[in-house]
Amino acid sequence: MSEQDDTSIEVYEQISENISKVGQIIQGLISKVTSKEFIDQAIWTIGSILLALIVAAVIMLMGGYDPGQAFIWLAVGAFSQFDQVLWYASPLIIVGLSVAIAFRCGLFNIGAEGQLYMGSMASALLAYLYSFPILIHPILCLAVGMLAGAAWGFIPGLLKAYRGAHEVVTTMMLSYTAILFTSWLVSSNGPFWDGSSVPRTPQFYDTALLPLIFGNYLHFGFIIALMAVFIVDYLINKTVLGYEMRAVGYNTEAAEYAGINSKKNIVLALVISGALAGLAGSTEILGTYDRFTARWSSGLGWDGITVAVLGKNNPWGVLAGGIFFGALKAGGNTMHAIAHVPIEMVKVIQGLIVLFVAAPRIIEWLMDHTQENKDDAKIEPAKVVPRLLIAIFGLASVFIGLAASRVALISGLISPVVSIGAIILMLTAVIGTLLFIAEYSRNPRGTQLLLIIAIGWLLGGGIFSIGVGYLDITSILMGAIALVFWFAMLLLTKRETEEAIL
Amino acid sequence: MKLPNYRYLAGLCAIIIGLIAILTLPPTQQNIAGWILSITLQMATPLVLAAIGGMFSERGGVVNIGLEGMMLMGAFSGAAVAWYLKDAFLGVLAACAAGGLLAAVHGVVCVKFKGNHIVSGTGVILFGTGFSTIMLELVWHQKGQGEHIANTIPDIVIPQIQNVPFFGPAFSAISPVVIFMFVITAISWYVLYRTPFGLRLRAAGEDPSTLDSAGASVEWTRVIGVIISGCLSGLGGAYLSIGFGSAFAKEMTSGRGFIALAAMIFGNWTPIGILGAGLFFGFLDGLNYFIQIYFQALLPFANFIAMLPFVLVVVALGLIRKSVPPKADGIPYEKEKRG
Repeated sequence: MSEQDDTSIEVYEQISENISKVGQIIQGLISKVTSKEFIDQAIWTIGSILLALIVAAVIMLMGGYDPGQAFIWLAVGAFSQFDQVLWYASPLIIVGLSVAIAFRCGLFNIGAEGQLYMGSMASALLAYLYSFPILIHPILCLAVGMLAGAAWGFIPGLLKAYRGAHEVVTTMMLSYTAILFTSWLVSSNGPFWDGSSVPRTPQFYDTALLPLIFGNYLHFGFIIALMAVFIVDYLINKTVLGYEMRAVGYNTEAAEYAGINSKKNIVLALVISGALAGLAGSTEILGTYDRFTARWSSGLGWDGITVAVLGKNNPWGVLAGGIFFGALKAGGNTMHAIAHVPIEMVKVIQGLIVLFVAAPRIIEWLMDHTQENKDDAKIEPAKVVPRLLIAIFGLASVFIGLAASRVALISGLISPVVSIGAIILMLTAVIGTLLFIAEYSRNPRGTQLLLIIAIGWLLGGGIFSIGVGYLDITSILMGAIALVFWFAMLLLTKRETEEAIL
Repeated sequence: MKLPNYRYLAGLCAIIIGLIAILTLPPTQQNIAGWILSITLQMATPLVLAAIGGMFSERGGVVNIGLEGMMLMGAFSGAAVAWYLKDAFLGVLAACAAGGLLAAVHGVVCVKFKGNHIVSGTGVILFGTGFSTIMLELVWHQKGQGEHIANTIPDIVIPQIQNVPFFGPAFSAISPVVIFMFVITAISWYVLYRTPFGLRLRAAGEDPSTLDSAGASVEWTRVIGVIISGCLSGLGGAYLSIGFGSAFAKEMTSGRGFIALAAMIFGNWTPIGILGAGLFFGFLDGLNYFIQIYFQALLPFANFIAMLPFVLVVVALGLIRKSVPPKADGIPYEKEKRG
């Protein structure tokens, strides 16, 4: 036995010597990408994004925009301005890493925004108050920014480790404190105001600015972001500190028994997280801006949370998530300019993606029921197909109901009768979602919902018709279809029960 | 007989001494004090409403950091409906419904699909902010701020008490929502501690498996708690757009959802504590107006006053006492599978 083992190890060593180091890395990557876990997660993430886009499409329809056109311009904008995408992505990646590394230690750093402001303020001060040689200046600025961010992360870390104060609360509160504090510093009453009508600091020295690396936007911050991804990946997966942090994150008590000082790790995790957030603020203020303006970031810290969530707190996932959200932002500008969809649509899409990613079981549920329906459709199509048709009808009635209620609201005839009709139609649309869920999971209550929807369509359409003076054919037609479906379902269930009795 | 808690006694004494002190002031200063009382009540109302909502959610075991998003949805829907239908009452109803709907999404994601409560809350905030801003443009065809709304919530006017010192200015013309703030505090105390639903809600937040073995549905109890929180936050938002103000503006809550969260923690997840904390934070909020009108020397430091609620919460959590949230707050409940 042992002889055989030895030879196999020798053979293995010979083989592995033949394959170059690069090949090994590629092999490792391939095995990682093809693993079941990775594919599952990828499917969940992409499914969540698709669901979010569908809901966003419903909202756009309701607002009277063309979602197809909007999405096309979003994609075109994202692909044609790759430098802008990476420019938007670089701070997002670093903030995402900041949130992710805290999360790996079981901590939710929701106040990255505040650490980012403190970091950018500190590096802004160094950038305009003191002059240094060209290479040293930005490095010093970034280092000071990281220190300031780390200090702002140190406070909640201490409070969490030694006083048990929940970090979500303390970081959030400190984040608002930092925003108010920095905006006071540069306001007309503060010490660092430049004397203009805007609350901001004077311009930085040119030596402090980060160089552009491509196009008009993309600055050196992107390289820093990439380096940060490598370093954080190494820190989390290859060092003792990273191992201990992960252990504390999995199970604090077990880590304590294993001899890990959980308090130290909690403080360190938040300090590193704060330093990264500070770094993000510094790169952005030195690369994109040339002075500190009050409230400049407009929610980068929150975006960082979404990036970390989308990247599943894995550094490489965060890289992908950051680029994805960067693409959303860059494409959103094009979408706004050409399809005239408000820029806030990007925020809505972001929020929806986070909501759906937060609940991976929605996708699980959908996949399970799809499988069940598929299996049953093969065995007894007569029972499954009508239900699926009704489920599709439910989905369709969501879209049509929202569109109809919108038409009713924006018809210019603002009378209580029209409004009540519109509200009924809107409620019917909401119930359409429930109908889809019920029929898709084959809940027996679906038939009752169908009747409610039929009544809703007829009532809403009728009231609307009275209000505007012409017949609202779509709604009446939808109501009629719903009634026919309901009647068919009644007959079907009746036959089923008779069969069961026989 | 059990003596009342010494903290409440101390609070009561402070209030009585304060009242006596104010009543000995000359009339002009009494009027200013009365004005401060009135602005405190007005600024406290959205905070207390949202914070009590948050309490219902967290007492049931669902962390709700999305109060800000729900308030914004309420503020927008209230303003839009009051503008379209020219009726403030329908606006308030719509605000409650919109807040409740967004909360229901949060509840379903957290409870049914066992999502991370804070991640979902972040999504709610982003969605609420973005959605209300888009809809602002669609409804009023304006950017930043909607049109002036004529039909705001009417004040209850009691001319008889207009000349009462100190209380006159605050209570002679008072918004029904402000009165509702006190009423809801009492109601929620009663509901939480004296009704079966309150017991279930607290059990869902402290020890869900016990509630489950008692035969009640943990999921429904929690979802109802979250929906109540959305309705109350929506109402708080509506007070900003059609009660205190008379137009909807982009991101008009300006962090009040987070201050409400701070008030909830400061008030230790109890209705009366929240009322106290909310009134205090409302007073700090109102101080800004006071400084602008009566005390301009302090104007440069307005930012520091705005900072106070946040700093106080951090100091209170860190140095004074350990905060004790409900035990199962933020932990999804997994029903045990039958063998």
